[in-house]
Amino acid sequence: MPADMAEQVTFMDYGLHRVPSKLTWAVQDAIDAVEHPSLIVLGYGLCGNGLKGINARQHTLLIPRTDDCIAILLGSYKKYIQEFDTTPGTYYLTKGWLEAGSNPLQEYEEIKEKYGEKDATWIMDQQYQHYERLVFVTHNQEDLEAYRPQAQEVAEYCQRWGYRYEEVLGSDIYVRRLIEVAMAIDKTDSDFVVIPPNGEVTQDLFMR
Amino acid sequence: MSEIYEKLSTAILEGDADKTPKLVNRGLKQGLTPKEVLDNGLIVGMDEVGVRFKRGDMFVPEVLMSADAMAAGMLILRPLLVESGAELLGKIVMGTVKGDLHDIGKNLVSMMCEGAGFEIVNLGFNVEPDVFINAIKEHQPAIVGMSAMLTTTMRAMGHTIKAIEEAGLRDTVKVFVGGAPVDKEFADTIGADGYGSNAPGGAELAKQLVGAA
Repeated sequence: MPADMAEQVTFMDYGLHRVPSKLTWAVQDAIDAVEHPSLIVLGYGLCGNGLKGINARQHTLLIPRTDDCIAILLGSYKKYIQEFDTTPGTYYLTKGWLEAGSNPLQEYEEIKEKYGEKDATWIMDQQYQHYERLVFVTHNQEDLEAYRPQAQEVAEYCQRWGYRYEEVLGSDIYVRRLIEVAMAIDKTDSDFVVIPPNGEVTQDLFMR
Repeated sequence: MSEIYEKLSTAILEGDADKTPKLVNRGLKQGLTPKEVLDNGLIVGMDEVGVRFKRGDMFVPEVLMSADAMAAGMLILRPLLVESGAELLGKIVMGTVKGDLHDIGKNLVSMMCEGAGFEIVNLGFNVEPDVFINAIKEHQPAIVGMSAMLTTTMRAMGHTIKAIEEAGLRDTVKVFVGGAPVDKEFADTIGADGYGSNAPGGAELAKQLVGAA
């Protein structure tokens, strides 16, 4: 990413997608805070409709045309659908989510504090028992090795539902293309959604 | 009377599966009908759960506990409702569509519809269109209910409706859909007859679809 672009990145709080309406408000606020008409790149997908209803105001919005971040991590929408078709019940792990503590093991620890072991176990089973696979996605061998112990710890916990553990080397190609298109918007294609000034993000723009 | 209703709805809201059946029994002992206990106690509680969940004031673990409390209450009420000759409104074939493994919401809607007087045929999750079609043929339901929790899988609802159409069965059933990413607009696009935004709303909608509301 060019330095002048990197300087203008706003990092949003982690985990807003869990309540999609909160994601909508947070992103809209961040857009509204940009004073001059600009091209704003949103590092999100449709995210459970979290982006639905967002208004571009006086700006132009550029968004990866994907349901969520998994396609971005794997490198393409096609790759995501391939993975999805093989095993729909896949829970993804990344370095970022391991750091943020967003995984079934961490979640169990948190709700155990609140509800005790028995109820926490029941709550976890209700939510996760039907998944079949845990996939750890990284972008390079280095991260894979550095975070493998943590990922394996989660995998061990998920054994209770019989998940199989897999490691996938993802790709940063989608992000690279996003930056390319951001620098020359006329290079946009069907992998991106562009919202003109005063336009609104709708669900159907992401359907394909 | 209103005191017991309030205690019941609070027990549901707090997800107290021990207290709920006790309060249900207390209400019945006080002379309330099973339907009154259900409508003015349990369902009022679940309504509030729906509102708070949408607002982000309640999360999945709490909703699960509430659903469990509701189920504990229904265990007592269901046979009594049947016994009291409450009108059976028809069958609903219910399932989470192909590719989607989330069944918490679908099961909750099923429970609410059961409380409203429907018989539920629960097909489970990751249900192929063919399985829906065979179930329609076998059970001849009034309604087919479909759930999806992901924007990636909600499209399968449209495919399933199309398959039902192609099997020549679309006119025999009403179809209603729901799930986190689904909205009225999407439901209209895929040709569903109705959309429910939460579990109690789903049961209300089911009643409307059979002309019982």
